Amino acid sequence: MSALMAAAPGAPVVELDLAELRDDPYPAYAELRRTAPLAWVPSVGRHLLTRYEDIVHAEKLPEVFSSREEGSLLLRTVGPNLLREDDPEHRRLRAAAEPPTRPRQVRDLWAGTFERTAHELLDRIAGRGEGDLIGDFAEPLAAANLAVVLGLRNASADDISDWSRAMMAANGNYADDPDIWLRAEQATRAIEDAVAEMAEAARREPDGSVISSMVHAADPVELTEIQNNIKVIIGGGVNEPRDVFGVGAQALLQRPDVLDRVVADPGLWKRVFEETARWISPIGMYPRQLTQDYEIAGVALPAGSRVALVIASGNRDESVFERADEFDIDRPHQPHLAFGGGPHFCMGAWVARHEVSALAWPLVFSRLKGLRLVEGADDRMEGWVFRGLTSLNVTWQV
Amino acid sequence: MPIVIFELPDGTQRKVIASSGTVLMQAAVSNGVDGIVAECGGNASCATCHVYVDQRHVELVGPPNDVEDEMLDFTAAERRPTSRLSCQIQVSDALDGLVVHIPEEQV
Repeated sequence: MSALMAAAPGAPVVELDLAELRDDPYPAYAELRRTAPLAWVPSVGRHLLTRYEDIVHAEKLPEVFSSREEGSLLLRTVGPNLLREDDPEHRRLRAAAEPPTRPRQVRDLWAGTFERTAHELLDRIAGRGEGDLIGDFAEPLAAANLAVVLGLRNASADDISDWSRAMMAANGNYADDPDIWLRAEQATRAIEDAVAEMAEAARREPDGSVISSMVHAADPVELTEIQNNIKVIIGGGVNEPRDVFGVGAQALLQRPDVLDRVVADPGLWKRVFEETARWISPIGMYPRQLTQDYEIAGVALPAGSRVALVIASGNRDESVFERADEFDIDRPHQPHLAFGGGPHFCMGAWVARHEVSALAWPLVFSRLKGLRLVEGADDRMEGWVFRGLTSLNVTWQV
Repeated sequence: MPIVIFELPDGTQRKVIASSGTVLMQAAVSNGVDGIVAECGGNASCATCHVYVDQRHVELVGPPNDVEDEMLDFTAAERRPTSRLSCQIQVSDALDGLVVHIPEEQV
């Protein structure tokens, strides 16, 4: 079924300015939930689905809401990969790649290295008394940890960050800028070389990493499949833990009473993590394409319709979360949508939970005494497909 | 078709008809049983379809598989010897009358 690049008959059409969405998408989402919970948005080229219940409904029907979206820029950037596949093909790749990201492996295999890296990064800045917790800490930590879990011992944290940025730019290259394509091609070629080298090493000596797990999968995986899937994990795997870290750290620094409670009761870091991911979801939406005619949110969509599941909006749905726009770690436990749902449930969820809530936040707030936000710093929240802080400037006592 | 009973934390019971050949989580989700979240849709990746199998039926249902056993260490509510992930319990006619208890928290 080929993709329909226009509004479904009967679907409301809502014009949204992408620059405004990047700045702050939440007012527009609130209006959509109220007045047009499924709306064709021409600037996005998809129908946005914005209410919690509808998104959960769609996630539970992957045979209707297919991940195989045609014309996706992600496919052009990295080639066929598990994010844009449905079961059983998706399942084969996921089963091969997933074991190193499961919680016991995270604890037993990766936690020690994560902790050493976090200490090293803090050692470099601790004596300065000031820094940017995104650029100096969260980004290099996320990148280095990703390299470890993937099994890319031949890549530095800077390599991973650069590759990730180049591919992310290409995934959003709707303007077709040739320089952006070129940089992404250079990045993907470098990743292919790095993966080929480490796959060969893992074939001789398994190391528990994602590459190793895919090389030794019971249901065989080709080298090109390993390469493409590592690309997609690098593309998306740096910004999410980095952004949850930054947004949550800023939220606590703005709420000293909450911070005091969490520091006194470290069991609360988990709540901070889940609430941060709900409040400002690092991934705001992802695309689906209908395999058949299907009615949702009162609109009869024909097969081929393109739909974006706007999980950032579902996570602010007032019918599910009271005072949804507020950051509140004491709100009643209610599942949020930040990790997605169904077969594509975030593979990095357990890695991110550990790296951010069990390691990065507790370590930063215990090692950097008297941590404060720099007043007047231009730390901007940005993005709607992906959202997070561009920087987080802080000072501490030396 | 076996009938299974989900007992909620407040003691109320939901009797639902499960289909042999599916998994227990599916019976809960299809019938809107509160407290079975099942974020990952049945792939033992999320630990949000946790149940306590009633003592009387523990042997009948059997122990968790390896992948499930790991995930059970990371459930929101405490793990008990009777803990299972309902997405990993295959429904069969032998489970007719099964009682499982839903924990206070899944997330």
